Amino acid sequence: MTHFRSLFLLRVINVVPDVFKRAALNTNLSFFLSHCQMGEFKVHRVRFFDYMPSAIRAMAFNSHTERLAVARADGAVEIFHFADNYFQEKVIPGRDRRAIEALCWVGHRLFSAGLDGEVTEYDLENLRARYSIEAYGGPIWAISSNSQGTLLAAGCEDGTVKMFEILEERIQFQRNLSRQNGRIISLSWHPSGALIAAGMMDMVRIFDTETGHATHRLLVERGVGASKSREVVVWSVAFLSDYTIISGDSVGKVQIWDGLTGTLIRTHLVTKWDVLALSISQDESSVIAGTSEGTIVQFQFISSTVGQQDKHWVRTRTFKNHSHDVRALVHTDTAVVSGGMDTQVVVRPLLDKVEKNTQESALRKIAFPHRSLVSCAKKTGLLLFQFPDHLELWRLGESDGNGTPGESLPVKRNPEKLIQLKRKGEDHICCSTLSPCGSWLAYSTVSSVCLYRLQLSSNNISIQKVSKLPKELRSVHQLCFSSDSSRLFASSSLSSVIVVALDQTECKYLHTLKHKSGSKQPIHILSPSEDGQWLATANTGCEIHVFNLRKMKLHCSVPAYSSCPTAVSIHPTSCNLLSVHADQQIFEFSLKQKEYTEWSRQLQRQGLHPLWLQRDTPITRVTFNPKNPAHIVLHDTFMFCIIDQSLPLPEPETKLYNQMLLRSLPQPLRLRESHAFKICKNYQHLLSVNLLEDLSLVVVERPLLDIMSQLPAPVRQKKFAT
Amino acid sequence: MGKTQRGKNASLQKKAERKKAANDFTLSLDSSDEEAPEEVTFEDSKAQAFQSLKQALDTARREKEQLREKRRKRQEFFQEQKKNKLLPADVLEEIDPTPLKKQKQSEDEAGEEAREEDGEKEEGHAKERKLPHDRTLKGSYTVTTVTEREAAHYQRQAAEDFIRSRLYGPGSCRSTSNELLSLQNKRGTNKGAAVQFVKKDWACKEKAKAEKLKKRWLHKQQMSSS
Repeated sequence: MTHFRSLFLLRVINVVPDVFKRAALNTNLSFFLSHCQMGEFKVHRVRFFDYMPSAIRAMAFNSHTERLAVARADGAVEIFHFADNYFQEKVIPGRDRRAIEALCWVGHRLFSAGLDGEVTEYDLENLRARYSIEAYGGPIWAISSNSQGTLLAAGCEDGTVKMFEILEERIQFQRNLSRQNGRIISLSWHPSGALIAAGMMDMVRIFDTETGHATHRLLVERGVGASKSREVVVWSVAFLSDYTIISGDSVGKVQIWDGLTGTLIRTHLVTKWDVLALSISQDESSVIAGTSEGTIVQFQFISSTVGQQDKHWVRTRTFKNHSHDVRALVHTDTAVVSGGMDTQVVVRPLLDKVEKNTQESALRKIAFPHRSLVSCAKKTGLLLFQFPDHLELWRLGESDGNGTPGESLPVKRNPEKLIQLKRKGEDHICCSTLSPCGSWLAYSTVSSVCLYRLQLSSNNISIQKVSKLPKELRSVHQLCFSSDSSRLFASSSLSSVIVVALDQTECKYLHTLKHKSGSKQPIHILSPSEDGQWLATANTGCEIHVFNLRKMKLHCSVPAYSSCPTAVSIHPTSCNLLSVHADQQIFEFSLKQKEYTEWSRQLQRQGLHPLWLQRDTPITRVTFNPKNPAHIVLHDTFMFCIIDQSLPLPEPETKLYNQMLLRSLPQPLRLRESHAFKICKNYQHLLSVNLLEDLSLVVVERPLLDIMSQLPAPVRQKKFAT
Repeated sequence: MGKTQRGKNASLQKKAERKKAANDFTLSLDSSDEEAPEEVTFEDSKAQAFQSLKQALDTARREKEQLREKRRKRQEFFQEQKKNKLLPADVLEEIDPTPLKKQKQSEDEAGEEAREEDGEKEEGHAKERKLPHDRTLKGSYTVTTVTEREAAHYQRQAAEDFIRSRLYGPGSCRSTSNELLSLQNKRGTNKGAAVQFVKKDWACKEKAKAEKLKKRWLHKQQMSSS
């Protein structure tokens, strides 16, 4: 009898977690009290931000500047700086009808081409498209430049390969190569610049660039069975300097051809689905192929027995980095970088090129943006979510009552969406912000800035657009309101900041703040101080400048540091500037003495804990606690941390994540063991952590599972025992 | 004919003989195993094959005819519909006199070579050199499209359709994200149920209808009791 009862009990216990999980997901908001070892916080756990990243369509790597350009399906272009801990430096927002199919670096210039039939050059200092020229060949499928950087070839839908001359400030159409009967899907120049291989339907054509005629035709076999009636698409080609051509097609083959004689050397059937992308390494000894299954296959030019001279292309490694199609690949000297329909950029270092078991050899997945898409009005508990085509304004819910730490509080009033604001025009939203009192809302695109006045009463909300904005507010990269909502700061071209005064209903241009360093890099962080005296700015040239707002001029510049700042903030009482950089370093600079503070020097002397330095997502926001001036609140995608400057810094040998340990110790021992970094990993994946005026934390989470469940269809793979 | 009869009779005879032989045998073997195949003459089989072929051809032809009939009827029906849908002929004439004009001009070109004609033609062309979507009417109004849809739009649409059909179209063997995640749950280290194991949003319309019926019934109950 007892035996049966205990079995029954066990089953009930198993059911409870599932029910609990479902309940938590249904209510999009639940309150938790979390004990962080120096106080208790009421936490608003927000999961109603339906952030959905866009699929990766193309990538291009510039090995001289170590920058990767990534083009997304919505037309946005992102630049990642590989040497600076893979920080996402710049984001050029997309446009409604821009559909990028290919990206190409020519020196320091970035070109793209897409289905709208235009070749676009980007201005990386002003974060917009510099110009677009129509190619008049229909949708463009591929662009590639020759190794000398003088010509740009574009493969078009109508079967022509169009050659453009690359001039100083623009590109100019030169001529067409001889027109073919099918669409040109992929292109590859021979390193000498004399030949071009073009992947088309059912074949690969080799063109002579001097005469423009097609010399060889390499016929690609169709599939077997049902796919014999469908044309084979050669999705990608690569032309090596020994005249070998490697092609990847829609049947799943990687074929190796001799470009001089036009014959097939070897076929490798790699997958049942398509081989969508190919990339060669710089020294041409390794080729990687990305498939629709999400796998990446590596071929290396090695001899089958060591010491012998005859080398072949041999299939060596297979990486399964993605769950969906891999549409873009880059082979750098030390790593394989891939991106596709699952929207993540994955960097897989090759273990024969880097040292094993070091920070360098770790797999990196960049899934979330390195900037904040959430603005919070601290005084009124409003949240503004930025989407590419609209903005959403939400009011947080309320709960009364207290509870013990870790408990979920009942929600008295649910969070509600107050406004959904659709943008005007075709350009996507670049940046948006909400004033701390919640009465002003501003957003900008590459072409214009829009400012709105909000009036919020207990059950009524009204929004009014401010019609006449100063003409200086044109192309703006970053927007920020001052803490008393009387000023709007906008970062503009040539690394300058525009200050605009806000009145009841109108807005007047006040001043343009400039710094003297001569850098033209865009400012990506703006942070005013609480008292309205200082404004800290940081640009992608790794410079931090502080302006005095009373005198409207430059106050000081923080000493140069090689890593780009990811979050900058000024302490409300002590007026110390705290900056966190892409390599996870933290600095504190005193604005009054114009030098690093003692705490910062001590931190540098002792060094940050190795686990802190090994984190692979950057800190995107720094805030302070009004009740306790020694606290600094930081967060990255996987944790949020409260640094207590009054406690000792952690030694490298001690445990960094010691909150659980401290909770288990009795009170007197806790003080001995605790250190300055209090890290909480309860909430993931974090998009934003803010501290409201009533000292409750707002944690905006976007679980990766929610994103993955809304991705497009992956291939159907039959696995054993399913 | 005699031959065919012979064939049949011969087989019957043979069967009778074999039965007798089988009865003599002590072993009880299945008669069909021992039986020699039936003798059928060449003409017989040829006639049969010919007949079946003819039948097949006939049915094919009949089916084609039926299909043709159906298609013709449909086409006629559509024509009727179109005619009924179109505006009356005179309104159309007003909106689009250009084809007639163009015809006239080409005739003129073919006939005359005088410069006055050229001058007139140029003037005519200049008047007509408007946006391709504009059409002047006899009255004082013009017809244009609301947004300029270039020819490039159709090409771009075709390109997008091409990519979509190659990657996600028929023959691409795709599954859903739900299935992918559910399989991960099933084969993972902590085995779990499928994602969206219980489908909460099933039969929403039926549920709404049931709700309404319930309300109506309760209301009726209240009315009848009061």
